[in-house]
Amino acid sequence: MKDLRFYLLTALGLAVFPFVFHLPLINGYGGLAIQILIVSIATIGFNLLLGYAGLLSYGHAAFYGAGSYAAALALLRVFPQVHSFALALFFGIIVATLAAAIIGALVVRLYGIYFALLTVAFAQMIYFIVFQWRDVTRGDDGLQGIAAPMLNFGFAKLDLATTLPAFPLGPFGDLSDVKYWYIFVAIILILVLAFVRTLNRSQFGEVLGAIRENEERSVFVGFDPRRYKYAAFVISGALCGLSGALRVLYEGSTGTDSLTIDQSGNFVIYTVVGGVQTLFGPVVGTGLIMWLQNVISAKTEAWRLIEGAIFVAVIIFLPSGIIGTFAKKTFSLGKVLRTK
Amino acid sequence: MANTILQTRSLSKHFGNFAANADIDFAVNEGELRAVIGPNGAGKTTFFNLLAGFTPATSGTIVYKDRDITNASGPQRVRIGIAKAFQTANIYPSETVEQNVRLAALARIQGPFALQVFRRSTRLEAIDTGANRALDRVDLTRLATTRAGDLAHGDKKRLDIAIALATEPEILLLDEPVAGMSIDEARRTEQLIKKLATEMTVLIIEHDMEIIMGISDSITVLHQGRVLASGTPAEIRNNQAVQEAYLGGHTESELAG
Amino acid sequence: MITAQSLLQAALNGLILGMIYVAIAIGLTIIFGMLRLVNFAHGAFYGIGAYVGLVVAKKAGFGAALIVAPLAVALFALALDRIVLRRFYQKEPTAQILLTFGIALMVEEALRMIFGGTTQQYPLPSWLGGSIAMAGLQYPAYHIYLAAAIALVVVAVWLFIRRTNYGLLVRAGIRDRTMVQLLGGNVRLASSIIFALGAALAGLVGVAASPIYSIDPGTGFNFLIPSFVVVVIGGLGSFWGAVLGGIIVGELVSITQLVFPPGADVIIYVVMALVLLFRPQGLLGETEVIKG
Repeated sequence: MKDLRFYLLTALGLAVFPFVFHLPLINGYGGLAIQILIVSIATIGFNLLLGYAGLLSYGHAAFYGAGSYAAALALLRVFPQVHSFALALFFGIIVATLAAAIIGALVVRLYGIYFALLTVAFAQMIYFIVFQWRDVTRGDDGLQGIAAPMLNFGFAKLDLATTLPAFPLGPFGDLSDVKYWYIFVAIILILVLAFVRTLNRSQFGEVLGAIRENEERSVFVGFDPRRYKYAAFVISGALCGLSGALRVLYEGSTGTDSLTIDQSGNFVIYTVVGGVQTLFGPVVGTGLIMWLQNVISAKTEAWRLIEGAIFVAVIIFLPSGIIGTFAKKTFSLGKVLRTK
Repeated sequence: MANTILQTRSLSKHFGNFAANADIDFAVNEGELRAVIGPNGAGKTTFFNLLAGFTPATSGTIVYKDRDITNASGPQRVRIGIAKAFQTANIYPSETVEQNVRLAALARIQGPFALQVFRRSTRLEAIDTGANRALDRVDLTRLATTRAGDLAHGDKKRLDIAIALATEPEILLLDEPVAGMSIDEARRTEQLIKKLATEMTVLIIEHDMEIIMGISDSITVLHQGRVLASGTPAEIRNNQAVQEAYLGGHTESELAG
Repeated sequence: MITAQSLLQAALNGLILGMIYVAIAIGLTIIFGMLRLVNFAHGAFYGIGAYVGLVVAKKAGFGAALIVAPLAVALFALALDRIVLRRFYQKEPTAQILLTFGIALMVEEALRMIFGGTTQQYPLPSWLGGSIAMAGLQYPAYHIYLAAAIALVVVAVWLFIRRTNYGLLVRAGIRDRTMVQLLGGNVRLASSIIFALGAALAGLVGVAASPIYSIDPGTGFNFLIPSFVVVVIGGLGSFWGAVLGGIIVGELVSITQLVFPPGADVIIYVVMALVLLFRPQGLLGETEVIKG
């Protein structure tokens, strides 16, 4: 029954979400909801590493960016004839996973600041390689104008850019404000959330949590922390790759901004603000901060300062993040929102 | 009948220039209850750490049942059957007592790593059995649902032992198991150790001479990182060198106790 | 075409850049080594120093700026320490990194809002201008003065830490705080002084280096990551490691810029990765620090 509650609530929340942007105070734009969901997938992946494995990486943009560039190149160069949505998506995920597999193997021996710095080192190396390798990546111009292929189900094709049929919804706008893209990404997000939720309750998740809580004891009970951390690292990289690939398919372009320390920092901020060890925290955190970055930035110069202030305030006063604190206080709703 | 289950040859551990353990030759038979004693700084905990794989040896060998395990990692040694309970109870404070032992039982069953991202551990009955048995042996079953961090000091130490037991060891290393306990708790723990000693080989570091003399089959005395003497409690009690080493700590009458 | 002259110039540039890294890295490493605090906000100290210096220099001249800016940064650091950082000294590095990162963000944005995002040039007073001829090369005199000045400051800081009680107190305080306090040592005061000192160093070089590297709000953070590279190479917590590491990194970047320009940005990360993988304690660091 708890499972059913989870799916229903999530689906409901996602169904309502894009229309919230029509409300005068919130004032988002249609595409923002889609962008938020796409980036949330990467943030969820990042949270797997930070919240569940307890490892702070400052280089996760590497996998996000790798996924986006791989998907873009798949459409532009690698398989240009086979203009396939699924292929681009999978290519993005696979390249990112490969990168995470290689980097992860090297990185998981380290702890704390050393771990963080090594992830930065690798991410920066990838950034500069992409930046310099203009022949393939067009450097800081990025890859533009990539037409998204249609979703091919075999029996039918769907152009995700089409909107739902018109149906007025009062102050919430109109049903046709929503593109099929949103539904598509929402479904993927639900699947990702379900996967992470299952993972966290699984044997694997249990051990990962034990390692995070007391690594020494875990070693002397017979677990091998390094392999667990490695697995978590690779899975998180794969999710970031999925997110990056979706970004390219949706926006039709990607650039070196997807590989910067800023981008890595963004994942950190989204996760911490939303709630580090929670399931929905990354989504909420991404939503709040991206809204700040995209909507409030048009209203005031001080938006980045506000973002920084929120981040610092959360660290000092609400270390469990927004969802984490809420989950602790409100018991019944909290039980659904919490990870266990 | 009695065969050597664990032995070390010239085992040494150096930290820079400081020799915490030097040239230790040690052997214990299966089923024995061996106490390792010595004044503070003698290197007892270091010795246990070497045996458990907590820290790598600088030189020398450790042999378990004819198998050289000198380079085996911590998790490997647990799998082999060497478990350690820590001096300061090493538990998972935010988990329940039950969950603490279940984790150890899980490790026993699944090994050092398993990518079981879908299966829940609640599905594995063997974990229930293993965990319950471990809790039962240390008499903590009634506290199974208590948060481990909220336990009294003595109970935490017994939980630590239970966790070690849940890995189904053949050799149990107990590092000062009664330290900081009340007399009652210490008595109960002493009984527990006696009982465990009938089921497995037990190595114990302790300062409480009464307990040591009462329960040990044999004693090894360490002093300044080396083996000073080894033998039955009676032999150790009468050993001149041991008495001299201990003059700073225990008196003769305590040793006679 | 790499001539002996261009090599010399690159070597000199590397030395200057290296000394700047040294000044920032020393602060980072003593703050970590002594207070066990990972300070991602260290670049902010540089930035504040640079901008405060700019303002003061316009009103009262460069000399005044060199004095006022580090003081201002020290005060800011003390305030930060008192209000926010205190409770985080004993926390895990992850929490410290996050907090100081957030503070760095806020400072950078605040600077951007106050001074604008455009790069500012810094006029060099004439008495510091001119160039020195060496081996057929005309090298800006100020660069040499800067390197020499930083070297002097480094030695002065070293003496301060080693010879006075403050350094001793903090080092002892790390080992056994209660005992030191019982013995009458004011660990808190000493810690604050060390923190302010590290910050002031960064602030000082923020002003002093501005004539060479013009100022923008992001400069502090741009210097931060390479400074961490320096500290890692030298050994986290090692004073002379920071010095050695700084010079090595400065030279590496400068010479790579000459010999293989596309590699100039990446080289420091490659070296840092190699150090972290094969010798995480760095050149002069202690072996025990690595785990956790």
